[in-house]
Amino acid sequence: MKKKLISLFLATAMVATMAGCGNTDTPASTPASNGSSSESQAGSSEQTPAVAEVEKPDSITVMIDGTVPTKENYGDEFWKKYTELTGIEVNVIQPDHDAYYDVVGQTIAGGDWPDVIILSSTYYAGYAAEGVLWDMTDAYASSDLKARHEAKAGSAGVVDSLRINGKLFGMPATHGNGCVTYVKQTWLDNVGITSVPTNYEEYVAMLDAFTTGDPDGDGVNGNTFAVSAAGFAGKEAPYTNYLPEFYQDAYPSFIQDENGVWYDGFNTDSMKAAMQRLADAYAAGYIDPTTLTNGTSDCRNKFYSDEFGIFTYWAGTWANNLKTNLEANGLSGDLVALPPIAEVGAYVDRITPAWCITSSCENPEGVFKYFIEAMQDGGDVQFLFTYGVEGCHWSTAAETLWADDEAKAKTYAEGEFHFLPNAEKPTTAYTKAHIDPMLALVNLEAPENSVTETAKNAQELFNTNCKSAFIVPTTETMSEFNGDLTTLKNELIAKVTMGELSVDEAYAKYEADGGKAWSDAIVESLNQ
Amino acid sequence: MKKTKTKAPKQKMSGKKLAATIYRYRGFYLMFLPVFVFAIIFSYLPMVGIRYAFTNYNGIKEPVFVGLKNFQKMFGMANFWSAFTNTIVISVTKLILTTAFAVVVSLFLNELVNIHFKKAVQTILYLPHFMSWVVTASIFSLILAPTNHGLVNTFLVNIGVLQPDKMIYFLGSEKWWRFSYYLINIWKETGWQTVIFMATLAGINTELYEAAAIDGAGRWGKMRYITFPALANTILTVFILNLAKVMNLFESAFVLQNDAVLGTANVLETYIYYQTFNSGAIPNYGYTTAIGLFKSLVGCILVLTCNQWSKKVRDGRGIV
Amino acid sequence: MKAKTKSKWSVFRVVNGLIFIILALIIIVPMWKILVDSFDLKTAYGMKLWPEKFGLDGYKSVFSNPTLYQPLLISFLTTISGTALALVISTMGAYVLIQWNMPGRTFFANFLLFTMIFNGGMIPTYLVLRSLHLTNTIWVVILFPALNVYNLVLLRNFFEGIPASLFESATLDGCSPMQTFLRIVLPMSKAALASIGLFYAVAYWNDYTHYKLYITNSDLYNFQMKLRSVIMGSDMPQTAGDATENTVKNAAIIVVIIPFMVLYPFLQQYFVKGVNIGAVKE
Repeated sequence: MKKKLISLFLATAMVATMAGCGNTDTPASTPASNGSSSESQAGSSEQTPAVAEVEKPDSITVMIDGTVPTKENYGDEFWKKYTELTGIEVNVIQPDHDAYYDVVGQTIAGGDWPDVIILSSTYYAGYAAEGVLWDMTDAYASSDLKARHEAKAGSAGVVDSLRINGKLFGMPATHGNGCVTYVKQTWLDNVGITSVPTNYEEYVAMLDAFTTGDPDGDGVNGNTFAVSAAGFAGKEAPYTNYLPEFYQDAYPSFIQDENGVWYDGFNTDSMKAAMQRLADAYAAGYIDPTTLTNGTSDCRNKFYSDEFGIFTYWAGTWANNLKTNLEANGLSGDLVALPPIAEVGAYVDRITPAWCITSSCENPEGVFKYFIEAMQDGGDVQFLFTYGVEGCHWSTAAETLWADDEAKAKTYAEGEFHFLPNAEKPTTAYTKAHIDPMLALVNLEAPENSVTETAKNAQELFNTNCKSAFIVPTTETMSEFNGDLTTLKNELIAKVTMGELSVDEAYAKYEADGGKAWSDAIVESLNQ
Repeated sequence: MKKTKTKAPKQKMSGKKLAATIYRYRGFYLMFLPVFVFAIIFSYLPMVGIRYAFTNYNGIKEPVFVGLKNFQKMFGMANFWSAFTNTIVISVTKLILTTAFAVVVSLFLNELVNIHFKKAVQTILYLPHFMSWVVTASIFSLILAPTNHGLVNTFLVNIGVLQPDKMIYFLGSEKWWRFSYYLINIWKETGWQTVIFMATLAGINTELYEAAAIDGAGRWGKMRYITFPALANTILTVFILNLAKVMNLFESAFVLQNDAVLGTANVLETYIYYQTFNSGAIPNYGYTTAIGLFKSLVGCILVLTCNQWSKKVRDGRGIV
Repeated sequence: MKAKTKSKWSVFRVVNGLIFIILALIIIVPMWKILVDSFDLKTAYGMKLWPEKFGLDGYKSVFSNPTLYQPLLISFLTTISGTALALVISTMGAYVLIQWNMPGRTFFANFLLFTMIFNGGMIPTYLVLRSLHLTNTIWVVILFPALNVYNLVLLRNFFEGIPASLFESATLDGCSPMQTFLRIVLPMSKAALASIGLFYAVAYWNDYTHYKLYITNSDLYNFQMKLRSVIMGSDMPQTAGDATENTVKNAAIIVVIIPFMVLYPFLQQYFVKGVNIGAVKE
């Protein structure tokens, strides 16, 4: 009995392994998906043949988080437009963004399941294993959506990253996105670096110049540091994404080698080397001394007030945000998005949230076709999910926005596409509805000027230089030990970096505190 | 005193007499009714959920009875007992320190004569309570930073206590973390706690002061022999009530923690949080309920013990 | 001799006053950072004495947000009605608990204490509220916080200080329990009512836990819930942050605090009375 339950409990964690995305289609991401037969775990009472007459649902209940327009941000108008386009009524359950997963848990436990639900990778995997979600493998395989994904480079890989043993229980709407390294152009100019670093040696030279020289141009040498982050290791997979140049090929968690065998990246020599690099850089003063206690907003504010010059942060829209914030502070907003240095190879694309259909949905095929698929139809519905509603989120009317503020005022001609001010934050404009146009998986004709040049460039750099994260199964052993193990690993990384322990001492402590034993047990369970 | 003595014979009262007494108190039962109904609806009905502590339940399938397995898992976790000890030490120390500070501040606030000044000071003192812990943490990580931005370190360097290159990383070193944590808590909660003590002081019969003045008592004497004893009851009540929540310590510790100090800073709730967060599976509510039940039992023991002690001090009356 | 004590006490007063000035400064310094940043259009990491680039944009952004007016109304509605309700049932409950000879008193006391220590957990609570059709209604945020045993026990603690002779004479005059409660207990407990009322009001005003767990209809959200999303929202990596992000965030933090800066001095008149009379008579 217990055993049975535990095997059910084999959910999955989001430990990242590397597979292709961007312009490189690696074969690693197609595990026998098309061939798998369709035994949906629970729910869907009838076994529908792959191609069948699909009935259009009258109404759908969807449970969504704050990434879809909320009521305050013209959510009502958004769904009204959807009804107009598809003829389907939508009942929306949209809890507060902060408490989304608490409310999802309550709702699932309460038994009134919605038809459609957005889930992050952890919940996606857990609920899939428990039979809450409808198996959409076959519906996807025979859909036009698949063809549309195949038509855009990199998209199929993102869909595959959500497969669990080949089966698909949810559909991504976008890339997961990730972080790229931004360098201030003025800092480069001030220390006389003309070409951006392409390998670690050049990168360290840049760190040194930014730390010991006078990159901010205030006439004082050595009152700056080069790089900052919120903590030395990220809290979630892919843990290394905020300081990629130091970690390089090292990865402090579980990962598969080319033969599909699992191992713990923390036990490798490359991890030891990475910790040594961090420690050396910290001792040299290259890394912000308060990295350990920084919050993300601390890092941003330090960056805006010219305390440091190299910041690894989100690609796309944030490239433009960083620029405008720097300019508002009277600094140059000129940022170089650094292509990954040779040792890093590629930035990491996170696992994206999934649109799922629950197994209590009465007409899952219909919901798949008219909701999930429609959202990425390359046409009107996708346009709605990407840009929102005309007159609410965007407009083509001739007008001047923020007319009362000269510095900010923007005038648009008749017919010129532009986003409108955010209802909740009137000083900013929308940049998307749900689907970030730069991260979409299906080609859509974009209106001109719908994304800023800065954001687009940074996103393109990321998209062409990324590898996507991968879902990794959790075993019983893993859920038992991985909490303590991760805490220990993070403690050791922090202490080595800050010079409290040497690398050898850290690994001695790792053995002594049981870390090695936990790690070995988990690896063994993964490889069974 | 009276209560315990009169209670015993009451048990033996004849049914008739008891009925008469109950009838005499009928108005009071009626007055208690709303409280009773609220407690049943919002507390007792949900308590049927405590049974999940003995099951595996993920909120989807029916709960499966597993006996004490959830408790075994909890006690078997590698760092459970260190987190448990940390919780008790940090939480109780914090409680004692903030209460003590609040009492002292209240006593001296009470001696302020200028009403406007007093009002202004009181308002300023209690404002930090209304800042969320996340905001508080981000401000103090700046103030305590081991750089030129850190106000405290800069001050210590300027008065010559520290060398400029030996600044203290208050929130980043295991040696200093708890000390900083207590200071921040005192900063944030002292003023708020004085509210209840100031209200108590306002209720002191002023005749007592007059009588004491006639007896020649000075301000210190009055403070010691009238004001403080009047507060003692409230102090005890507040202290014991707060003991019930000692195990719930989460947010303040969570936002001030970091990877390097977890050895001294990890409390039970944060420990459980990291465990669940890093396991990558959807939470087992059976397990979290078991932890909740364990915390309740510890809180219960603490409260009952102190209540017993308070009965001795206070003529047989507990805090409720 | 009299003069001597007087001068001695004035030294005490000066020192005491000075101590509180220093204390107030220590309290203010960290909050000053927020205040300055809320007026500063230039984002800065460190501490500053004054805004570098003064501007009201942060506050403008908070108050020009039209989606904040209804939440503000809801906050007032729930805080006023909730606090009133909470005070009514808590004072009555506390009054019953000082009837030492009432049969069942000890049971009632333990019955309440038990709810302070044990709870059923998140999901069972949700299921109960749902079966009572309280979820997604304004009632859940008014009724749920109305019984706080902690506050009730504190009230009981205050009531205990009322001289028993007053109750006895009231009973002899033929007052019913309710009449005694209204004529003696409540008028004697102004400071207690003010402080516990403040506790409840603050709990209602600051409440977001009940909103986020039990209400999914954002038309019913309160002010705190909205401002919280302004304060926390900027930390979500995917949301767009613009140049005024930091200023707006700090302005929102200040706006949250403002009601309490106004409320407390107003309530303090109930706190100082007793002491003040003493001071005057001295």
